[in-house]
Amino acid sequence: MKKVSPFSPGARILVQALMIVLVVASLLPLYNVISASFKSIDEFPANPIGLPQVVVGDNYEYAAFAGKLLQFTVNSVLFVPGAVLLYLVVCIAAGYAFGKMRFALRLPLFLLVLFLSIFPQLLLATQVFKLISLMHLTNTGWGAILTWVAYFAPFGTYIMTTYFADMPYELVEAARIDGAGPVKILTRIMAPLAKPMTATIAIIGFQSMWNELPFSLLILQTQEQRTLTVGIAMMRGEFGLRVPILSAALVIAMVVPMAMFFIFQRQITLGVTAGAVKG
Amino acid sequence: MRHRGLETDGVAPYLFLTPLFVLLVLFILYPVGMNFYSSFTEWKGYGPQKWIGFDNYINMVQDQAFWASIINTGLFILYIPVGTVFTLVVAALLREGIRGWQTYRAILYIPNLLGYVVMGVIFSIYLRDDGALNALIKWVLGSPVHFLIDPFLAVNSIGFILVVWLHLGFGIIYFLAAMNGIDKAIYEAALIDGAGFWKTFFSVTVPSIRFAVEFFIVFNFIEVFARMFSFIYTLTQGGPGYSTFTLEYGIFDQGFQKFHVGYAGAWSTVLFVFCAIISVVQIRLMHRRDA
Repeated sequence: MKKVSPFSPGARILVQALMIVLVVASLLPLYNVISASFKSIDEFPANPIGLPQVVVGDNYEYAAFAGKLLQFTVNSVLFVPGAVLLYLVVCIAAGYAFGKMRFALRLPLFLLVLFLSIFPQLLLATQVFKLISLMHLTNTGWGAILTWVAYFAPFGTYIMTTYFADMPYELVEAARIDGAGPVKILTRIMAPLAKPMTATIAIIGFQSMWNELPFSLLILQTQEQRTLTVGIAMMRGEFGLRVPILSAALVIAMVVPMAMFFIFQRQITLGVTAGAVKG
Repeated sequence: MRHRGLETDGVAPYLFLTPLFVLLVLFILYPVGMNFYSSFTEWKGYGPQKWIGFDNYINMVQDQAFWASIINTGLFILYIPVGTVFTLVVAALLREGIRGWQTYRAILYIPNLLGYVVMGVIFSIYLRDDGALNALIKWVLGSPVHFLIDPFLAVNSIGFILVVWLHLGFGIIYFLAAMNGIDKAIYEAALIDGAGFWKTFFSVTVPSIRFAVEFFIVFNFIEVFARMFSFIYTLTQGGPGYSTFTLEYGIFDQGFQKFHVGYAGAWSTVLFVFCAIISVVQIRLMHRRDA
Protein backbone atom coordinates (compact mmCIF):
# COMPACT_ATOMS: atom_id res chain seq x y z
CA MET A 1 0.00 0.00 0.00
CA LYS A 2 1.40 3.40 -1.00
CA LYS A 3 1.37 6.30 1.45
CA VAL A 4 0.06 8.95 -0.91
CA SER A 5 -3.13 8.79 -2.90
CA PRO A 6 -4.86 11.26 -5.18
CA PHE A 7 -8.28 9.78 -4.38
CA SER A 8 -10.86 11.21 -2.00
CA PRO A 9 -12.80 8.62 0.06
CA GLY A 10 -15.72 8.99 -2.37
CA ALA A 11 -13.48 8.36 -5.39
CA ARG A 12 -12.03 5.30 -3.65
CA ILE A 13 -15.50 3.78 -3.39
CA LEU A 14 -16.10 4.48 -7.10
CA VAL A 15 -12.81 2.81 -8.07
CA GLN A 16 -13.63 -0.23 -5.91
CA ALA A 17 -17.07 -0.39 -7.53
CA LEU A 18 -15.54 -0.32 -11.02
CA MET A 19 -13.10 -3.11 -10.12
CA ILE A 20 -15.88 -5.25 -8.68
CA VAL A 21 -17.94 -4.77 -11.87
CA LEU A 22 -14.94 -5.87 -13.99
CA VAL A 23 -14.22 -8.90 -11.80
CA VAL A 24 -17.87 -9.99 -11.75
CA ALA A 25 -18.17 -9.57 -15.53
CA SER A 26 -15.01 -11.61 -15.93
CA LEU A 27 -16.12 -14.41 -13.59
CA LEU A 28 -19.74 -14.65 -14.76
CA PRO A 29 -19.05 -16.78 -17.89
CA LEU A 30 -16.81 -19.04 -15.80
CA TYR A 31 -19.39 -19.38 -13.01
CA ASN A 32 -21.96 -20.22 -15.64
CA VAL A 33 -19.88 -23.03 -17.12
CA ILE A 34 -19.06 -24.50 -13.71
CA SER A 35 -22.65 -24.38 -12.47
CA ALA A 36 -24.03 -25.82 -15.74
CA SER A 37 -21.56 -28.70 -15.54
CA PHE A 38 -23.21 -29.96 -12.31
CA LYS A 39 -26.81 -29.73 -13.57
CA SER A 40 -28.65 -32.71 -15.00
CA ILE A 41 -29.60 -32.60 -18.69
CA ASP A 42 -33.24 -32.25 -17.63
CA GLU A 43 -32.68 -29.45 -15.13
CA PHE A 44 -30.54 -27.20 -17.33
CA PRO A 45 -33.16 -25.83 -19.80
CA ALA A 46 -35.47 -24.85 -16.92
CA ASN A 47 -32.65 -23.40 -14.80
CA PRO A 48 -29.94 -22.00 -17.11
CA ILE A 49 -28.35 -19.44 -14.75
CA GLY A 50 -29.07 -20.40 -11.15
CA LEU A 51 -27.06 -22.76 -8.97
CA PRO A 52 -27.82 -26.46 -9.59
CA GLN A 53 -30.80 -27.66 -7.55
CA VAL A 54 -29.42 -31.19 -7.56
CA VAL A 55 -25.68 -31.61 -8.02
CA VAL A 56 -24.89 -34.45 -10.44
CA GLY A 57 -21.57 -35.91 -11.62
CA ASP A 58 -22.98 -37.61 -14.75
CA ASN A 59 -21.76 -34.88 -17.12
CA TYR A 60 -18.19 -35.35 -15.90
CA GLU A 61 -18.39 -39.11 -16.26
CA TYR A 62 -19.73 -38.77 -19.79
CA ALA A 63 -17.19 -36.09 -20.83
CA ALA A 64 -14.22 -37.92 -19.31
CA PHE A 65 -14.95 -41.37 -20.79
CA ALA A 66 -17.42 -41.26 -23.70
CA GLY A 67 -16.15 -37.78 -24.64
CA LYS A 68 -12.53 -38.99 -24.21
CA LEU A 69 -11.46 -35.93 -22.20
CA LEU A 70 -9.34 -38.17 -20.01
CA GLN A 71 -7.48 -39.47 -23.06
CA PHE A 72 -7.00 -35.90 -24.39
CA THR A 73 -5.62 -34.80 -21.01
CA VAL A 74 -3.11 -37.66 -21.02
CA ASN A 75 -2.05 -36.69 -24.58
CA SER A 76 -1.55 -33.04 -23.63
CA VAL A 77 0.31 -34.00 -20.46
CA LEU A 78 2.65 -36.23 -22.50
CA PHE A 79 3.22 -34.06 -25.58
CA VAL A 80 3.47 -30.56 -24.12
CA PRO A 81 6.21 -31.10 -21.48
CA GLY A 82 8.21 -33.12 -24.03
CA ALA A 83 7.98 -30.25 -26.46
CA VAL A 84 8.94 -27.74 -23.73
CA LEU A 85 12.16 -29.67 -23.00
CA LEU A 86 13.20 -29.63 -26.65
CA TYR A 87 12.18 -25.96 -26.88
CA LEU A 88 14.42 -25.07 -23.93
CA VAL A 89 17.45 -26.79 -25.49
CA VAL A 90 16.91 -24.98 -28.82
CA CYS A 91 16.25 -21.56 -27.24
CA ILE A 92 19.09 -21.71 -24.69
CA ALA A 93 21.69 -22.76 -27.29
CA ALA A 94 20.55 -20.13 -29.81
CA GLY A 95 20.00 -17.43 -27.17
CA TYR A 96 23.52 -17.92 -25.81
CA ALA A 97 25.03 -17.76 -29.31
CA PHE A 98 23.19 -14.52 -30.09
CA GLY A 99 23.65 -12.99 -26.63
CA LYS A 100 27.28 -13.75 -25.80
CA MET A 101 29.20 -15.07 -28.82
CA ARG A 102 30.98 -13.22 -31.60
CA PHE A 103 30.44 -14.18 -35.23
CA ALA A 104 30.07 -12.37 -38.52
CA LEU A 105 26.40 -13.13 -39.21
CA ARG A 106 25.19 -12.42 -35.66
CA LEU A 107 23.04 -9.36 -36.41
CA PRO A 108 21.45 -10.44 -39.72
CA LEU A 109 20.56 -13.90 -38.37
CA PHE A 110 19.14 -12.40 -35.16
CA LEU A 111 16.99 -9.97 -37.15
CA LEU A 112 15.76 -12.88 -39.27
CA VAL A 113 14.69 -14.77 -36.13
CA LEU A 114 12.81 -11.69 -34.86
CA PHE A 115 11.20 -11.21 -38.27
CA LEU A 116 9.94 -14.81 -38.34
CA SER A 117 8.49 -14.74 -34.83
CA ILE A 118 4.99 -13.42 -35.60
CA PHE A 119 3.66 -15.18 -38.71
CA PRO A 120 0.31 -16.91 -38.12
CA GLN A 121 0.06 -20.72 -38.19
CA LEU A 122 -2.41 -20.64 -41.08
CA LEU A 123 0.23 -19.02 -43.29
CA LEU A 124 2.47 -22.08 -42.83
CA ALA A 125 -0.05 -24.87 -42.27
CA THR A 126 -0.37 -26.36 -45.80
CA GLN A 127 3.35 -26.93 -46.20
CA VAL A 128 3.89 -27.96 -42.59
CA PHE A 129 1.20 -30.60 -43.01
CA LYS A 130 2.91 -31.88 -46.18
CA LEU A 131 6.27 -31.95 -44.43
CA ILE A 132 4.86 -33.85 -41.45
CA SER A 133 3.24 -36.45 -43.76
CA LEU A 134 6.52 -36.77 -45.65
CA MET A 135 8.24 -37.58 -42.33
CA HIS A 136 5.42 -40.09 -41.52
CA LEU A 137 4.61 -38.15 -38.36
CA THR A 138 0.91 -37.39 -39.02
CA ASN A 139 -1.21 -38.37 -36.00
CA THR A 140 1.85 -38.71 -33.78
CA GLY A 141 2.96 -36.69 -30.78
CA TRP A 142 6.33 -36.15 -32.44
CA GLY A 143 4.72 -34.39 -35.39
CA ALA A 144 3.02 -31.91 -33.07
CA ILE A 145 6.11 -31.52 -30.87
CA LEU A 146 8.48 -30.66 -33.74
CA THR A 147 6.00 -28.20 -35.22
CA TRP A 148 5.28 -26.46 -31.91
CA VAL A 149 8.98 -26.13 -31.09
CA ALA A 150 9.78 -24.67 -34.53
CA TYR A 151 6.87 -22.24 -34.32
CA PHE A 152 7.43 -20.96 -30.77
CA ALA A 153 11.26 -21.08 -30.62
CA PRO A 154 11.91 -17.63 -32.21
CA PHE A 155 10.19 -15.83 -29.32
CA GLY A 156 11.90 -17.96 -26.65
CA THR A 157 15.24 -17.38 -28.37
CA TYR A 158 14.65 -13.63 -28.32
CA ILE A 159 13.95 -13.66 -24.57
CA MET A 160 17.01 -15.81 -23.81
CA THR A 161 19.18 -13.61 -26.04
CA THR A 162 18.32 -10.44 -24.12
CA TYR A 163 18.94 -12.26 -20.83
CA PHE A 164 22.35 -13.66 -21.83
CA ALA A 165 23.35 -10.31 -23.38
CA ASP A 166 22.82 -8.59 -20.00
CA MET A 167 25.07 -11.03 -18.13
CA PRO A 168 28.69 -9.84 -17.52
CA TYR A 169 31.09 -10.91 -20.27
CA GLU A 170 33.80 -11.49 -17.62
CA LEU A 171 32.08 -14.78 -16.74
CA VAL A 172 32.82 -16.11 -20.22
CA GLU A 173 36.37 -14.73 -20.25
CA ALA A 174 37.23 -16.21 -16.85
CA ALA A 175 35.97 -19.64 -17.91
CA ARG A 176 37.93 -19.42 -21.15
CA ILE A 177 41.14 -18.60 -19.29
CA ASP A 178 40.51 -21.71 -17.19
CA GLY A 179 40.55 -23.65 -20.47
CA ALA A 180 36.83 -24.36 -20.85
CA GLY A 181 35.47 -24.85 -24.40
CA PRO A 182 32.26 -23.20 -25.66
CA VAL A 183 30.01 -26.21 -24.87
CA LYS A 184 31.36 -26.46 -21.33
CA ILE A 185 31.01 -22.70 -20.78
CA LEU A 186 27.36 -22.85 -21.80
CA THR A 187 26.35 -26.05 -20.01
CA ARG A 188 28.38 -25.63 -16.80
CA ILE A 189 28.40 -21.86 -16.24
CA MET A 190 26.06 -19.75 -18.33
CA ALA A 191 22.96 -22.00 -18.58
CA PRO A 192 22.83 -22.62 -14.79
CA LEU A 193 23.10 -18.85 -14.23
CA ALA A 194 20.18 -18.30 -16.62
CA LYS A 195 17.81 -20.52 -14.58
CA PRO A 196 15.31 -17.76 -13.62
CA MET A 197 14.69 -16.79 -17.24
CA THR A 198 14.70 -20.46 -18.32
CA ALA A 199 11.84 -21.08 -15.88
CA THR A 200 10.00 -18.09 -17.33
CA ILE A 201 10.26 -19.20 -20.97
CA ALA A 202 9.37 -22.76 -19.94
CA ILE A 203 6.06 -21.40 -18.63
CA ILE A 204 5.52 -19.21 -21.71
CA GLY A 205 6.26 -22.18 -23.98
CA PHE A 206 4.01 -24.48 -21.95
CA GLN A 207 1.04 -22.10 -22.15
CA SER A 208 1.53 -21.41 -25.88
CA MET A 209 1.77 -25.10 -26.78
CA TRP A 210 -0.99 -26.21 -24.41
CA ASN A 211 -3.40 -23.74 -26.05
CA GLU A 212 -2.17 -24.18 -29.65
CA LEU A 213 -4.95 -25.05 -32.07
CA PRO A 214 -4.30 -24.71 -35.85
CA PHE A 215 -1.25 -26.98 -36.18
CA SER A 216 -2.53 -29.52 -33.65
CA LEU A 217 -5.89 -29.65 -35.46
CA LEU A 218 -4.20 -30.57 -38.75
CA ILE A 219 -1.51 -32.90 -37.42
CA LEU A 220 -3.49 -34.79 -34.74
CA GLN A 221 -6.56 -35.88 -36.69
CA THR A 222 -7.48 -39.20 -35.09
CA GLN A 223 -9.48 -38.93 -31.90
CA GLU A 224 -6.95 -41.04 -29.97
CA GLN A 225 -4.18 -38.49 -30.55
CA ARG A 226 -6.03 -35.21 -29.90
CA THR A 227 -4.77 -32.76 -27.30
CA LEU A 228 -7.22 -31.19 -24.85
CA THR A 229 -7.32 -28.00 -26.89
CA VAL A 230 -8.16 -29.85 -30.12
CA GLY A 231 -10.66 -32.05 -28.28
CA ILE A 232 -12.53 -29.06 -26.84
CA ALA A 233 -12.57 -27.25 -30.19
CA MET A 234 -13.98 -30.33 -31.98
CA MET A 235 -16.57 -30.99 -29.26
CA ARG A 236 -18.02 -27.53 -29.68
CA GLY A 237 -18.98 -28.39 -33.25
CA GLU A 238 -20.54 -31.77 -32.36
CA PHE A 239 -24.19 -31.71 -33.31
CA GLY A 240 -26.65 -32.15 -30.49
CA LEU A 241 -24.07 -32.14 -27.67
CA ARG A 242 -25.80 -30.84 -24.54
CA VAL A 243 -24.51 -27.73 -22.77
CA PRO A 244 -23.99 -29.41 -19.35
CA ILE A 245 -21.70 -32.03 -20.95
CA LEU A 246 -19.75 -29.44 -22.94
CA SER A 247 -19.47 -27.42 -19.71
CA ALA A 248 -18.06 -30.40 -17.83
CA ALA A 249 -15.52 -30.87 -20.64
CA LEU A 250 -14.52 -27.19 -20.34
CA VAL A 251 -14.05 -27.48 -16.58
CA ILE A 252 -11.82 -30.54 -17.08
CA ALA A 253 -9.80 -28.54 -19.64
CA MET A 254 -9.33 -25.69 -17.13
CA VAL A 255 -7.78 -27.84 -14.39
CA VAL A 256 -4.17 -27.93 -15.57
CA PRO A 257 -3.89 -24.24 -16.64
CA MET A 258 -5.44 -23.13 -13.33
CA ALA A 259 -3.11 -25.39 -11.33
CA MET A 260 -0.14 -23.97 -13.25
CA PHE A 261 -1.35 -20.47 -12.38
CA PHE A 262 -1.49 -21.15 -8.65
CA ILE A 263 1.92 -22.84 -8.61
CA PHE A 264 3.81 -20.55 -11.00
CA GLN A 265 2.06 -17.19 -10.59
CA ARG A 266 5.39 -15.37 -10.21
CA GLN A 267 6.89 -16.85 -13.39
CA ILE A 268 3.67 -16.16 -15.31
CA THR A 269 3.73 -12.51 -14.22
CA LEU A 270 7.40 -12.28 -15.23
CA GLY A 271 6.61 -13.99 -18.52
CA VAL A 272 4.08 -11.31 -19.46
CA THR A 273 6.66 -8.59 -18.98
CA ALA A 274 9.76 -10.42 -20.25
CA GLY A 275 8.89 -9.73 -23.88
CA ALA A 276 9.25 -6.01 -23.82
CA VAL A 277 9.90 -4.32 -20.49
CA LYS A 278 13.56 -4.32 -19.60
CA GLY A 279 14.89 -4.42 -16.06
CA MET B 1 27.03 -7.06 -27.02
CA ARG B 2 30.03 -5.09 -28.17
CA HIS B 3 32.60 -6.94 -30.25
CA ARG B 4 36.00 -7.01 -28.65
CA GLY B 5 38.47 -6.46 -31.46
CA LEU B 6 38.17 -8.67 -34.52
CA GLU B 7 38.29 -11.92 -32.59
CA THR B 8 35.37 -14.29 -33.22
CA ASP B 9 34.22 -17.55 -31.68
CA GLY B 10 34.81 -19.55 -34.87
CA VAL B 11 32.25 -22.20 -35.80
CA ALA B 12 30.87 -22.78 -32.28
CA PRO B 13 28.08 -20.15 -32.54
CA TYR B 14 26.91 -21.65 -35.83
CA LEU B 15 26.74 -25.08 -34.20
CA PHE B 16 24.65 -23.65 -31.36
CA LEU B 17 22.29 -22.09 -33.90
CA THR B 18 21.91 -25.22 -36.04
CA PRO B 19 18.87 -26.76 -34.25
CA LEU B 20 16.98 -23.46 -34.39
CA PHE B 21 17.74 -22.78 -38.03
CA VAL B 22 17.01 -26.32 -39.25
CA LEU B 23 13.54 -25.94 -37.70
CA LEU B 24 13.05 -22.39 -39.01
CA VAL B 25 13.99 -23.29 -42.58
CA LEU B 26 11.76 -26.39 -42.65
CA PHE B 27 8.74 -25.06 -40.75
CA ILE B 28 8.68 -21.31 -41.51
CA LEU B 29 10.91 -20.13 -44.40
CA TYR B 30 10.18 -22.96 -46.81
CA PRO B 31 6.39 -22.90 -46.17
CA VAL B 32 6.25 -19.12 -46.73
CA GLY B 33 8.16 -19.47 -50.01
CA MET B 34 6.09 -22.42 -51.23
CA ASN B 35 2.83 -20.59 -50.45
CA PHE B 36 3.96 -17.76 -52.66
CA TYR B 37 4.70 -20.20 -55.47
CA SER B 38 1.35 -22.03 -55.06
CA SER B 39 -0.52 -18.73 -55.24
CA PHE B 40 0.24 -18.77 -59.00
CA THR B 41 -1.06 -22.32 -59.44
CA GLU B 42 -4.27 -24.29 -59.32
CA TRP B 43 -3.70 -26.93 -56.66
CA LYS B 44 -5.76 -29.10 -54.29
CA GLY B 45 -2.92 -29.56 -51.80
CA TYR B 46 -2.02 -32.90 -53.39
CA GLY B 47 -1.59 -34.09 -56.98
CA PRO B 48 -0.41 -31.91 -59.88
CA GLN B 49 0.10 -28.15 -59.62
CA LYS B 50 -1.01 -26.21 -62.70
CA TRP B 51 0.55 -22.76 -63.39
CA ILE B 52 -2.24 -20.20 -63.90
CA GLY B 53 -0.41 -16.88 -63.50
CA PHE B 54 -2.34 -14.19 -61.65
CA ASP B 55 -5.78 -15.85 -61.86
CA ASN B 56 -5.97 -16.53 -58.11
CA TYR B 57 -5.25 -12.88 -57.38
CA ILE B 58 -7.85 -11.73 -59.93
CA ASN B 59 -10.45 -14.04 -58.35
CA MET B 60 -9.47 -12.86 -54.88
CA VAL B 61 -10.15 -9.17 -55.52
CA GLN B 62 -13.60 -10.14 -56.85
CA ASP B 63 -14.35 -12.36 -53.85
CA GLN B 64 -16.88 -10.99 -51.37
CA ALA B 65 -15.34 -13.07 -48.58
CA PHE B 66 -11.94 -11.44 -49.15
CA TRP B 67 -13.28 -7.89 -48.81
CA ALA B 68 -15.40 -8.92 -45.81
CA SER B 69 -12.18 -10.18 -44.19
CA ILE B 70 -10.34 -6.92 -44.89
CA ILE B 71 -13.22 -4.79 -43.57
CA ASN B 72 -13.57 -6.95 -40.44
CA THR B 73 -9.84 -6.66 -39.77
CA GLY B 74 -10.14 -2.87 -40.14
CA LEU B 75 -13.00 -2.90 -37.63
CA PHE B 76 -10.93 -4.94 -35.15
CA ILE B 77 -8.12 -2.41 -35.50
CA LEU B 78 -10.55 0.33 -34.38
CA TYR B 79 -10.91 -1.55 -31.09
CA ILE B 80 -7.15 -1.31 -30.42
CA PRO B 81 -7.10 2.34 -29.20
CA VAL B 82 -10.24 1.66 -27.12
CA GLY B 83 -8.62 -1.36 -25.48
CA THR B 84 -5.29 0.40 -24.94
CA VAL B 85 -6.81 3.44 -23.18
CA PHE B 86 -9.19 1.30 -21.12
CA THR B 87 -6.39 -1.04 -19.99
CA LEU B 88 -4.07 1.90 -19.18
CA VAL B 89 -6.74 3.54 -17.01
CA VAL B 90 -7.50 0.34 -15.10
CA ALA B 91 -3.77 -0.31 -14.57
CA ALA B 92 -3.23 3.28 -13.38
CA LEU B 93 -6.12 2.94 -10.91
CA LEU B 94 -4.65 -0.31 -9.55
CA ARG B 95 -1.24 1.38 -9.29
CA GLU B 96 -2.62 3.69 -6.61
CA GLY B 97 -2.59 0.68 -4.30
CA ILE B 98 -6.35 0.36 -3.80
CA ARG B 99 -7.33 -2.45 -1.46
CA GLY B 100 -7.29 -5.88 -3.10
CA TRP B 101 -5.40 -4.82 -6.22
CA GLN B 102 -3.39 -8.04 -6.38
CA THR B 103 -6.56 -10.14 -6.27
CA TYR B 104 -8.15 -8.04 -9.02
CA ARG B 105 -5.02 -8.39 -11.13
CA ALA B 106 -5.00 -12.19 -10.70
CA ILE B 107 -8.72 -12.69 -11.43
CA LEU B 108 -8.65 -10.50 -14.53
CA TYR B 109 -5.73 -12.59 -15.84
CA ILE B 110 -7.70 -15.89 -15.75
CA PRO B 111 -9.12 -15.59 -19.32
CA ASN B 112 -5.59 -15.12 -20.70
CA LEU B 113 -4.53 -18.26 -18.89
CA LEU B 114 -7.30 -20.43 -20.33
CA GLY B 115 -6.48 -19.53 -23.93
CA TYR B 116 -8.61 -18.63 -26.93
CA VAL B 117 -10.06 -22.11 -27.56
CA VAL B 118 -11.53 -22.55 -24.08
CA MET B 119 -12.65 -18.90 -23.99
CA GLY B 120 -14.16 -19.16 -27.49
CA VAL B 121 -16.23 -22.21 -26.52
CA ILE B 122 -17.25 -20.57 -23.22
CA PHE B 123 -18.47 -17.44 -25.03
CA SER B 124 -20.24 -19.58 -27.65
CA ILE B 125 -22.40 -20.94 -24.79
CA TYR B 126 -22.62 -17.64 -22.90
CA LEU B 127 -23.72 -15.44 -25.83
CA ARG B 128 -26.32 -17.75 -27.42
CA ASP B 129 -29.92 -16.58 -27.63
CA ASP B 130 -30.79 -19.08 -24.88
CA GLY B 131 -27.48 -18.55 -23.05
CA ALA B 132 -26.82 -17.11 -19.61
CA LEU B 133 -26.15 -13.52 -20.66
CA ASN B 134 -29.39 -13.42 -22.61
CA ALA B 135 -31.26 -14.92 -19.65
CA LEU B 136 -30.16 -11.81 -17.71
CA ILE B 137 -30.90 -9.48 -20.64
CA LYS B 138 -34.37 -10.97 -21.13
CA TRP B 139 -35.07 -10.36 -17.46
CA VAL B 140 -34.20 -6.64 -17.92
CA LEU B 141 -35.22 -5.88 -21.54
CA GLY B 142 -37.82 -8.55 -22.19
CA SER B 143 -36.18 -9.88 -25.37
CA PRO B 144 -32.76 -11.41 -26.15
CA VAL B 145 -29.91 -9.67 -28.01
CA HIS B 146 -28.78 -11.77 -31.00
CA PHE B 147 -25.02 -11.52 -30.33
CA LEU B 148 -24.02 -14.39 -32.61
CA ILE B 149 -26.87 -14.28 -35.15
CA ASP B 150 -26.91 -10.63 -36.18
CA PRO B 151 -23.86 -10.10 -38.48
CA PHE B 152 -23.06 -6.61 -37.14
CA LEU B 153 -23.33 -7.73 -33.50
CA ALA B 154 -21.32 -10.91 -34.19
CA VAL B 155 -18.31 -9.10 -35.62
CA ASN B 156 -18.41 -6.40 -32.95
CA SER B 157 -18.76 -9.00 -30.19
CA ILE B 158 -15.56 -10.65 -31.43
CA GLY B 159 -13.76 -7.30 -31.76
CA PHE B 160 -14.72 -6.17 -28.27
CA ILE B 161 -14.18 -9.51 -26.50
CA LEU B 162 -10.86 -10.37 -28.13
CA VAL B 163 -9.20 -6.97 -28.46
CA VAL B 164 -10.54 -5.17 -25.37
CA TRP B 165 -11.84 -7.71 -22.87
CA LEU B 166 -9.50 -10.71 -23.19
CA HIS B 167 -6.37 -8.52 -23.27
CA LEU B 168 -7.29 -6.63 -20.12
CA GLY B 169 -5.63 -9.05 -17.67
CA PHE B 170 -2.46 -9.34 -19.72
CA GLY B 171 -2.31 -5.56 -20.26
CA ILE B 172 -2.76 -4.79 -16.56
CA ILE B 173 0.19 -6.96 -15.52
CA TYR B 174 2.25 -5.55 -18.38
CA PHE B 175 1.49 -1.88 -17.67
CA LEU B 176 1.78 -2.26 -13.88
CA ALA B 177 5.29 -3.67 -14.34
CA ALA B 178 6.20 -0.71 -16.55
CA MET B 179 4.63 1.79 -14.12
CA ASN B 180 6.62 0.21 -11.31
CA GLY B 181 9.73 1.66 -12.95
CA ILE B 182 8.51 5.26 -12.61
CA ASP B 183 10.17 7.23 -9.80
CA LYS B 184 7.69 7.47 -6.89
CA ALA B 185 9.03 10.95 -6.07
CA ILE B 186 7.43 12.28 -9.27
CA TYR B 187 4.00 11.13 -8.06
CA GLU B 188 4.56 12.67 -4.63
CA ALA B 189 5.63 15.96 -6.22
CA ALA B 190 2.55 15.91 -8.49
CA LEU B 191 0.30 15.33 -5.47
CA ILE B 192 1.88 18.20 -3.53
CA ASP B 193 1.33 20.41 -6.59
CA GLY B 194 -2.35 19.50 -6.35
CA ALA B 195 -2.50 17.42 -9.55
CA GLY B 196 -5.43 14.99 -9.54
CA PHE B 197 -5.56 11.44 -10.92
CA TRP B 198 -6.30 12.39 -14.53
CA LYS B 199 -3.70 15.17 -14.70
CA THR B 200 -1.06 12.78 -13.34
CA PHE B 201 -2.25 10.04 -15.69
CA PHE B 202 -1.77 12.16 -18.81
CA SER B 203 1.33 14.16 -17.78
CA VAL B 204 3.31 11.57 -15.76
CA THR B 205 2.11 7.96 -16.13
CA VAL B 206 1.47 7.64 -19.87
CA PRO B 207 4.52 9.63 -21.10
CA SER B 208 6.81 7.69 -18.71
CA ILE B 209 5.80 4.30 -20.12
CA ARG B 210 5.58 5.32 -23.77
CA PHE B 211 7.57 2.31 -24.98
CA ALA B 212 5.33 -0.12 -23.12
CA VAL B 213 2.26 1.55 -24.65
CA GLU B 214 3.75 1.30 -28.14
CA PHE B 215 4.63 -2.39 -27.61
CA PHE B 216 1.12 -3.08 -26.38
CA ILE B 217 -0.33 -1.50 -29.53
CA VAL B 218 1.98 -3.56 -31.78
CA PHE B 219 1.09 -6.69 -29.75
CA ASN B 220 -2.59 -5.97 -30.45
CA PHE B 221 -1.93 -5.61 -34.18
CA ILE B 222 -0.20 -9.02 -34.11
CA GLU B 223 -3.20 -10.48 -32.32
CA VAL B 224 -5.68 -9.03 -34.83
CA PHE B 225 -3.79 -10.17 -37.94
CA ALA B 226 -2.15 -13.37 -36.74
CA ARG B 227 -3.69 -14.79 -33.53
CA MET B 228 -7.48 -14.61 -33.93
CA PHE B 229 -8.15 -17.88 -35.73
CA SER B 230 -8.68 -20.11 -32.67
CA PHE B 231 -11.19 -17.71 -31.13
CA ILE B 232 -13.20 -17.24 -34.35
CA TYR B 233 -13.10 -20.99 -35.09
CA THR B 234 -14.61 -21.84 -31.72
CA LEU B 235 -17.01 -18.86 -31.39
CA THR B 236 -18.61 -18.18 -34.80
CA GLN B 237 -16.77 -20.31 -37.42
CA GLY B 238 -16.56 -17.19 -39.58
CA GLY B 239 -20.33 -16.77 -39.71
CA PRO B 240 -23.06 -15.83 -40.03
CA GLY B 241 -22.16 -15.73 -43.74
CA TYR B 242 -18.76 -14.06 -44.03
CA SER B 243 -19.54 -11.61 -41.25
CA THR B 244 -16.71 -12.74 -38.95
CA PHE B 245 -14.18 -13.82 -41.60
CA THR B 246 -10.56 -12.67 -41.35
CA LEU B 247 -7.63 -13.39 -43.69
CA GLU B 248 -6.55 -16.24 -41.39
CA TYR B 249 -10.04 -17.73 -41.34
CA GLY B 250 -10.37 -17.40 -45.14
CA ILE B 251 -7.10 -19.29 -45.65
CA PHE B 252 -8.42 -22.06 -43.40
CA ASP B 253 -11.78 -22.11 -45.21
CA GLN B 254 -10.34 -22.15 -48.74
CA GLY B 255 -7.26 -24.27 -48.06
CA PHE B 256 -8.52 -26.85 -45.57
CA GLN B 257 -12.29 -27.03 -46.05
CA LYS B 258 -12.64 -26.43 -49.80
CA PHE B 259 -9.17 -27.67 -50.84
CA HIS B 260 -8.46 -24.59 -53.01
CA VAL B 261 -4.89 -24.49 -51.76
CA GLY B 262 -3.54 -22.42 -54.66
CA TYR B 263 -6.27 -19.85 -54.14
CA ALA B 264 -5.63 -19.79 -50.37
CA GLY B 265 -2.01 -19.01 -51.34
CA ALA B 266 -3.12 -15.69 -52.81
CA TRP B 267 -4.81 -14.76 -49.52
CA SER B 268 -1.62 -15.89 -47.75
CA THR B 269 0.45 -13.45 -49.78
CA VAL B 270 -1.74 -10.57 -48.59
CA LEU B 271 -1.57 -11.75 -44.98
CA PHE B 272 2.20 -12.18 -45.29
CA VAL B 273 2.62 -8.57 -46.44
CA PHE B 274 0.59 -7.21 -43.49
CA CYS B 275 2.50 -9.40 -41.01
CA ALA B 276 5.88 -8.45 -42.52
CA ILE B 277 5.06 -4.76 -42.04
CA ILE B 278 4.03 -5.32 -38.41
CA SER B 279 7.17 -7.39 -37.80
CA VAL B 280 9.43 -4.64 -39.17
CA VAL B 281 7.66 -2.02 -37.01
CA GLN B 282 8.19 -4.23 -33.96
CA ILE B 283 11.89 -4.74 -34.72
CA ARG B 284 12.40 -0.99 -35.15
CA LEU B 285 10.66 -0.41 -31.82
CA MET B 286 12.97 -2.92 -30.07
CA HIS B 287 15.98 -1.32 -31.71
CA ARG B 288 14.95 2.19 -30.60
CA ARG B 289 14.41 1.03 -27.02
CA ASP B 290 17.74 -0.82 -26.82
CA ALA B 291 19.70 2.01 -28.46
